[in-house]
Amino acid sequence: MKQLRRYLFGLAGVAALLIAGCGSTTSTTTSSTAPKDISIGTLYAGSGSYATSSLPELAGLKFWMNQVNKSGGVFVKAYNKKIPVKLVDYNDQSDANTAQTLYTQLITQNKVNILVSDFGSVLTSVAVPIAQEHKMVLFNPTGTGASFFTPNNPYIVLTGLPTSAVWPDNLAKYLLSQNFKKVAIVYAENDFDQSQDQTLTTQLKAGGVTPVYNQGVPTTTSNYDVIIHNIAQANPDAVLELGYPNNDIAFLQNLAASGQHFGFLFTIFPGQELSLLEQNVGVKTLTNTWTYPTPPLLAYNSGVNYGMTISQFNQAFQAANGSAPNFLDIAGYNTGLVIQKTLETAKSLSQLDLRAAAGKIHMFTLDGNFTINKEGAQMGETLPVGQLQASGSSLKTVIIYPSAVATGTAVH
Amino acid sequence: MLRRRWVDALVVVVVVVAFVLAPQAYSNETLLFQMMVYIALSQGVNILYGFTGYLPFGYVGFFGIGAYGASLLMLHLSWPPILALLGGGAIAVLLGLLLSPLLRLSGAYFAIASLAASQAVYLIVSNPSLQNVTYGPYGIQLVSQFNPTLSYYVMVAILALTVAVVLYIRRSRFGTALQAMRDDPVSAAMAGVPVVRQRTFAWMISAAIAGVVGGAFAWQTSVFYPDAVFSLSISIFAIVFTLFGGAGTLLGPLFGTVVLYGMYNTIGISDPQYFQLIYGLLIILLVLFLPDGAASLLKRRGTHVL
Repeated sequence: MKQLRRYLFGLAGVAALLIAGCGSTTSTTTSSTAPKDISIGTLYAGSGSYATSSLPELAGLKFWMNQVNKSGGVFVKAYNKKIPVKLVDYNDQSDANTAQTLYTQLITQNKVNILVSDFGSVLTSVAVPIAQEHKMVLFNPTGTGASFFTPNNPYIVLTGLPTSAVWPDNLAKYLLSQNFKKVAIVYAENDFDQSQDQTLTTQLKAGGVTPVYNQGVPTTTSNYDVIIHNIAQANPDAVLELGYPNNDIAFLQNLAASGQHFGFLFTIFPGQELSLLEQNVGVKTLTNTWTYPTPPLLAYNSGVNYGMTISQFNQAFQAANGSAPNFLDIAGYNTGLVIQKTLETAKSLSQLDLRAAAGKIHMFTLDGNFTINKEGAQMGETLPVGQLQASGSSLKTVIIYPSAVATGTAVH
Repeated sequence: MLRRRWVDALVVVVVVVAFVLAPQAYSNETLLFQMMVYIALSQGVNILYGFTGYLPFGYVGFFGIGAYGASLLMLHLSWPPILALLGGGAIAVLLGLLLSPLLRLSGAYFAIASLAASQAVYLIVSNPSLQNVTYGPYGIQLVSQFNPTLSYYVMVAILALTVAVVLYIRRSRFGTALQAMRDDPVSAAMAGVPVVRQRTFAWMISAAIAGVVGGAFAWQTSVFYPDAVFSLSISIFAIVFTLFGGAGTLLGPLFGTVVLYGMYNTIGISDPQYFQLIYGLLIILLVLFLPDGAASLLKRRGTHVL
């Protein structure tokens, strides 16, 4: 009996620990009076494979928040007044399972007004069903997986780039316009890169060009030596390496070490994180390679009708953070602008009203044209094709295609 | 004997009641769900490591194949989710059978080989050439089946069943035979224990648990990429929770998961650097002073730990 009693106490202890260990309940009261702040909940990857991209995105969002709060807060139409913005951020350490718990934490415990997802498709994917289940609009800066945007999900807004399958449209057109007959593609096996490969191969084949080399590699690939030599054997006119920053760095480093040279070489992330690539592979290796230029390399100064121009942003961001911004800083800031415009026009803070307001936004920011379709996917922005050309001891980005936005001519 | 049965039933009831009531006190059901996932996985590791001495670093392979198996049964064959979870468990058992020759190895060799096997399964599942079957690197979308409330209560049932299985193993001749094999396989074989068959059976029970839990996880998550369900951190968490609480007991892994996963979700998220420091120190202290886990503190005092 004594033993039984001991078990009972033990089990009760575990049960109590379980409930107590999970935290306490927070109040669920709502009020019709204006909240003292607008809370924005987001996640960032403080470590792990997405940290180099996620941290700048968070820095951009924080920069926007500080700018807004300096002027007394964001104007909320529903209350006809400015309300300060508060950021609640958690570190998911690049882990999708941890992110899943934390997105729920932001919604159920912190009860944030606005939910913003972490960088990229992997860390955004788990947020999509959670946001939909809790009927919260997910402001999504860079999760471009096409499958996130479906007609039956009104709770998502892609604030930055278009869906990844659309990215290579201009690239495919440019390759065909140059009469490249032998195109080699190596892509990392993930949603982001493989969808681009599919778009490219479809469009190239429609133009009569079948890639002479089209190979997927695991996203974790860090050595492209053998692949580079295999590509060289196919004697291609153009080589496209589609990966995440770590893939691009490894490919370019291996290429430089191999002594091989390709006449036309395209990688994705120099256009978004040029300084990271310069640090890791050097200016010489990047010279005359091709990429998708994004702001700040793609400088939107004229035509901007909401928020800072790119020059103003570069200056203010550098003054505030001590470093020049990259594209992801801008993506974070631009997300803030979309939220700001949404709050300025939504008739209430209800999530469906926020989504309806976001759907009606047509504005031109430092990140380009913002327009979303019915599914919440970004339709306004397009990605031109650009070349990194030598300018003294550094690189300048020249937009080559489409000709309507070209800023120079190609160097071969 | 009767009292033992009452105690066993009580354990299952307490676990069920705790997780059924927990959402009333704490509304982050995802966290509670993942805690159940890790308790069940640590019990799966416990069956293998605690009872047979085989440390499966590649345990996540069963979890991942269960997640994919269940998802693909729902997507390709339109199976209802609960049936698909059982299908995921069956697929994990088949994988376990396929990998059973690994049990010829032991110690670090087995740990490394199981890890390599799980990576092989991951690379096959995420291979773009199998896109029509597994969706390759594009991941899984189960949005039409998404039902967090039902999947939560199904996970409670899976957890209860897992606890009951571990209790059975602990009380049965089968469990005693496994422990005898763990301590001295040669002597156990000489005493008439069918070592290979029993060990393989334990391996497959462990695989089935991970497979069904993986299926439940897939159902609850509903949108995921291959690396989310084949992440090595899942194996590591399950192993560390088991070792912390005390392998070979039922309450040890349960206690280990609640304490360490609770810690992970408090200081681990807000201050990961301190968490990693504390986690590292805890593991060092554990290895140095409590190699048999926290349960050994009670055992040293003569208290029987279930």
